[in-house]
Amino acid sequence: MTNSVIENIRRSLGRSAQTRLGPRPAVYPARQPESSEAEAERFLEEVRKLSGVAQMLSPDSVLDALKALAAEQDIRKAAVWNTPLLNQYQITNHLSSLGIELISPNASKHDLALCDLGITEADYLLPETGTLVLKSSAQKPRAVSLLPRVHLAIVRPELLRPDLHQVFDEARRDPYLVFITGPSRTADIELTVTLGVHGPKNLYVWMLEEA
Amino acid sequence: MSETPTYIGFEAYTKHIPPGIPAAVQQATGRFVGGRAARVAELPHWEQLRQMASDIRLHTIENLDVYLERLEEQVMAAGGHVHWAATAEDARQIVLDIARRNNVRLAVKSKSMATEEIALNHALEAADIEALETDLGEYIIQLAGTGPSHIIVPAVHLKKEEIAAIFSEKLGIEAPADPVALTRIAREVLREKFLQAEMGISGGNFLIAETGTLVMVTNEGNGRMCTTLPDLHVAVVGIDKVIPDWELLTVFLKLLARSATGQKLSTYTQFITGPRREEGEFGPREFHLVLLDNGRSSVLRDPVGREVFKCIRCGACANVCPVYKNVGGFAYGWFISGPIGAIFAPQMLGTPAARELPYASTLCGACAEVCPVKIPIPAILRHLRRRVAQGDEIAAPTMPAPIRAAAKLSAFALAQNWMYRLGARILPLVMSIFQRGGWIPWAPYPLSRWTKIRPLPKFTAGFRQWWGRR
Repeated sequence: MTNSVIENIRRSLGRSAQTRLGPRPAVYPARQPESSEAEAERFLEEVRKLSGVAQMLSPDSVLDALKALAAEQDIRKAAVWNTPLLNQYQITNHLSSLGIELISPNASKHDLALCDLGITEADYLLPETGTLVLKSSAQKPRAVSLLPRVHLAIVRPELLRPDLHQVFDEARRDPYLVFITGPSRTADIELTVTLGVHGPKNLYVWMLEEA
Repeated sequence: MSETPTYIGFEAYTKHIPPGIPAAVQQATGRFVGGRAARVAELPHWEQLRQMASDIRLHTIENLDVYLERLEEQVMAAGGHVHWAATAEDARQIVLDIARRNNVRLAVKSKSMATEEIALNHALEAADIEALETDLGEYIIQLAGTGPSHIIVPAVHLKKEEIAAIFSEKLGIEAPADPVALTRIAREVLREKFLQAEMGISGGNFLIAETGTLVMVTNEGNGRMCTTLPDLHVAVVGIDKVIPDWELLTVFLKLLARSATGQKLSTYTQFITGPRREEGEFGPREFHLVLLDNGRSSVLRDPVGREVFKCIRCGACANVCPVYKNVGGFAYGWFISGPIGAIFAPQMLGTPAARELPYASTLCGACAEVCPVKIPIPAILRHLRRRVAQGDEIAAPTMPAPIRAAAKLSAFALAQNWMYRLGARILPLVMSIFQRGGWIPWAPYPLSRWTKIRPLPKFTAGFRQWWGRR
């Protein structure tokens, strides 16, 4: 299965198909985590530095927090990932009780684009950079964290990983991953930082304390 | 600007730099230099990361055939299509064929240097396919019909009043001269286009050979739109973007955003392995990877010059370059500017076409200091100057024999402590013969070539004596 590009590379490098691979270089090791409380606090603090709204939340206060968020952001339509955790906390019921219209997370892109709020979980969290790592599936469509103008991620402390290394070890076989580090931003006009150029304008992260 | 240039007249271009460019570019570069410095200071192991990044890139370049074949195998195993493009024309044809086969009328693009390199937009438009840039800065310059002045903020040379005028004219709306309002207008206009487009076109920051994964690093979210909403995703990526495996990638994700914009990570980093797996998760039905050679495989022949392929396109070298800061991106005449452009273009286009670029530098070395993958840019510039002077095919330095012998002798003498000390004592005695007052107005050949122009200052004391007195 040779092709002209590969052949030319081999000619230029003086290699053949039989040439053995040189030794693989070393990698800087993963950072050492601090206490789990410190890691959680660092993660939330980094999200805040990026203009996200991040807080610890007791599971009992989810409804109140949703109510406050809906009022603050004038939320009328929302789409929610169909996952066990979000079902367990009855997110969709809460939204309905607040009079918010629910759009299926598998609805068309045109319908999802009309949503004010997209609610997801995360699969991993990186404290050093304030990063949410999201996988993708039919229950967890990628557009829910992208098309609505507000993104809320409801997460748990167990998802914290010390560094990229651990996330990559666990997730490298996944067909799609997205790292989300703060809300969508640009500085393309006169270097003025503007949030929400294409993706969500506002990012909320609620870390649920153990129930 | 986006077509492959046949000659880059750097010096002539510098005489036609639009007014306001140096000030705007310096404001941008100043911002990025400060941001980068703050991030670098937070990582005590920065220098180790740079060394590792350099080692990994060199290893990958030297074994490129192996990793590219692994990559191809893995992309196909993940259900993606791989296309090899030996030339820019091949690459354009491949993308056009995919677009025609799927009746594409609108393609949305996320910022990509590879598609600039092959002038893809022109080819698509010639085939009646609208190709829309969606990165805000790229969108603005596409509307304005100009080229990029900076790798990260391509429209930085335009004032908000000018952008408002462009929006008002091209979009037929009343656009206020306010960055937030202009951004909102672009969001609304482009959102419609994202939903409508049949094809998304992107570049890629890295390709992971281990799993056949395309890594895209962006801030605005337009890259995610292009890879999430249309039914087709075509990524055009240079063959130099391969990284062997995920673990090695950790090094580059730590270096890239910190070096480019002074962020710890850019807002969105996507890892895309093949097309969508399930209905309802979004993402494209078909994923195509176009691997672009366009001369790279031949550039690999030059063991000095090929280090240019270590580049991860952060732009840090341009931000610190005293030449770039005064001329901006246009003067470099191709899609890639600054010090990296000055060593990339001559190798890709050949030194006859880009022979002025290796001289578009003061060799101050600031670029090499900040480069996250330690590309020895000044050394490559000097190497390319020699290629300009002596032709691209020369094998070894060809200085006159006496000069080579003298250089060898002095290198030997300076390395011996006693010889250096002896020389430092003899030199003032020899010099005193020619000294007149504090100056040496004439010295015998070959030093006379200097003294003909200006006198030499008197040799006062050896470094060691001077140091001892301090």
